Amino acid sequence: MSEPVIQIEHVTKSYGTGGPVLRDVSLTVAGGEVVVVCGPSGSGKSTLIKCVNALEPIQGGRIVVGGQDLGDRRVDLPRLRARVGMVFQHFELFPHMRVLDNLCLAQTKVLGRPRAEAETRAMALLDRVGLHAFAEKHPGQLSGGQQQRVAIARALAMDPMVMLFDEATSALDPEMVSEVLDVMVELARSGMTMMVVTHEMGFARKVAHRVVFMDQGQIAEDAPTQAFFEAPRSERAQQFLSKILTY
Amino acid sequence: MSQFDFEIIHRSLSYLFFEGMRFTLTLTLLSALGGVILGTLLAMARMAGGPVLAACAAGYVNLVRPLPLVLVIFWFYFLVPYLGQWLTGASRPIHVGGFASALITFIVFEAAYFSEIMRAGIGSIPRGQAAAATALGLTYRQSMRYVILPQVFRIMLPVLLTQTIVLFQDTSLVYVLSITDFLGAASKIAQRDGRLVEMYSFAALVYFIMSFTASQGVRTLRARVAVPR
Amino acid sequence: MPTRPTTRTRPATTSNGVGYHWNWGIFWEMSPEGTGTYLDMIVQGLRMTLITAALAWVIAFIVGSAIGVLRTLPGRMAPLAASAWIELFRNMPLLVQLFLWYFVFPEILPAAWGIWLKQLPAAAFLTAVIGIGFFMSARVAVQVASGIEALPQGQRAAATALGLTPAQTYRYVLLPMAYRIVLPPLTSELLNTVKNTSVALTIGLAELTARARAVQEFSFQVFEAFTAATLAYLVINLLATMAARWLEARVRVPGYGRA
Repeated sequence: MSEPVIQIEHVTKSYGTGGPVLRDVSLTVAGGEVVVVCGPSGSGKSTLIKCVNALEPIQGGRIVVGGQDLGDRRVDLPRLRARVGMVFQHFELFPHMRVLDNLCLAQTKVLGRPRAEAETRAMALLDRVGLHAFAEKHPGQLSGGQQQRVAIARALAMDPMVMLFDEATSALDPEMVSEVLDVMVELARSGMTMMVVTHEMGFARKVAHRVVFMDQGQIAEDAPTQAFFEAPRSERAQQFLSKILTY
Repeated sequence: MSQFDFEIIHRSLSYLFFEGMRFTLTLTLLSALGGVILGTLLAMARMAGGPVLAACAAGYVNLVRPLPLVLVIFWFYFLVPYLGQWLTGASRPIHVGGFASALITFIVFEAAYFSEIMRAGIGSIPRGQAAAATALGLTYRQSMRYVILPQVFRIMLPVLLTQTIVLFQDTSLVYVLSITDFLGAASKIAQRDGRLVEMYSFAALVYFIMSFTASQGVRTLRARVAVPR
Repeated sequence: MPTRPTTRTRPATTSNGVGYHWNWGIFWEMSPEGTGTYLDMIVQGLRMTLITAALAWVIAFIVGSAIGVLRTLPGRMAPLAASAWIELFRNMPLLVQLFLWYFVFPEILPAAWGIWLKQLPAAAFLTAVIGIGFFMSARVAVQVASGIEALPQGQRAAATALGLTPAQTYRYVLLPMAYRIVLPPLTSELLNTVKNTSVALTIGLAELTARARAVQEFSFQVFEAFTAATLAYLVINLLATMAARWLEARVRVPGYGRA
């Protein structure tokens, strides 16, 4: 494996006065690797992925992304975040902007690309997610699946070194899940480094190199995909799999 | 700037509060009461009156709300004597005191605002409530009196009280009629003794403390009222 | 210490005891001020109302937006400072605030500044613009903050994740939607600004209500004068409402807010 892109070392986190949400979490994602993070709701997996982009502060340990320590005051966080693509559960497209402008905003304002170059890049990515014809539409005029594909294209437009997916399909109507998963699979096969929080075990089987199982703020299991599905070592992962796979 | 004279404030406290603030609070409370009653009637007229009555009520609200309170105060100050003459059949415009004139003005003016609050409140009660009351055989008046309005007042109480705090502040505008409300009393001493800085600063402080305390109280009430339902 | 002229009212008396004599022709008669007709007085007042309200609104909108943004920033200090500003300007009557700016503020400045301020030719006008502007800024701030808070939390996260700075996040993502959401209440705050200019007649601003009062004092045609002012306020209200509708339609986001 090549250089690690994400290094999470002994991270702890809690909200306000409540108990810890993350307890001594350590995880590494290498370049070109696809890591699926799963676990029951409230296990801390969404919080963890938000910490990787410094959207949430951590209380202990450290997170290094692309060789830069997020806790280091000298690190230019906006610059770093620009190179970390993130896809949200509720898409979070900007409703007042056309699809094309959603893709161009950060390219021009953060990366400083000329507008024409940003548009060319945006159109190419819309083409890649099959939404070339929707560039002039507003997000509210698209279906949920289409919006999420636009959101993926928006993140890709920043030429990220890694893509983070935070339950990207769980707010979608069932018939729209596969169109988004197709885009994610294609992305994984193209060699993109990905950290994916999801319940879609089919996706994990298909493209993940490793599966990380979280429970109660801790990593209960971190195993190669095949090993995880065929012989999960931890009892909690076994229970989780049996519940999620019986249907 | 000459020395800030606390003594002048101390000496005028009883005048400021027993004359001025008493007038302000009396005017505020009576106007709020009258405004809520008239406003509720207006809201009901708009929502359930015949087409003519509803149009009149809507026209009234839409006429008053664009006008500045100062202009309405002047309107009524000059109009009320003639209205009194017309109502009583007197031979000349009747004399109306400053308090009565101000009270009529504020009731009429605030009713337009209270009616919008009550209208929103009545609209927020599920339609099933009125249907259930009707199904039980209650008349429109009875269902309003016993079923709908009690719920509306409970839900809208924080908003009604907030509007009353605004009203409390707005009563200072009777200054334009040279009436001795709280600000009027402060102003009279300020001008008599040439102590504008002291008197106006003190008046501002008193208004601030009273309004702020009241609005914090409404906030607490809102949090308490918000739980059920 | 000089006291400044305020518009005060004498008890309503009419020369004749029997009913009121209407005279709509009064507006075409010359006013004793010698600068035109009575109608001209009303028009001058209207112009002063509109200019004062427009400038006060500029202050209210800019300051109010800034305070509204502060109120929604992460951390504790910025929201606390914003709340202090809002409570300060919301809990004193506008009239009292104008008196503070007009009578008290120049006195607490260093003497030379205070004298300079008091001698400004347009002191009442400047006081009204600043006093009403700050008074309304608290109300605008509440609206702007509620608009920002009405947006999904993820919008800020998404903008941040794309590498936008906090300033860029507000400028390009949060504020454009927040302003759209609170456009109707902001319209009524604008109209409140117009109405509130009338309070400045107490410090001698020759705005619409003050001029209607002046027409009444010169001509004794009280109801004609007030009717003219009333019509002017209704027309302002109507035009502003229509403009707001047009603006709402213009900035409406396609597909947004569908059920």
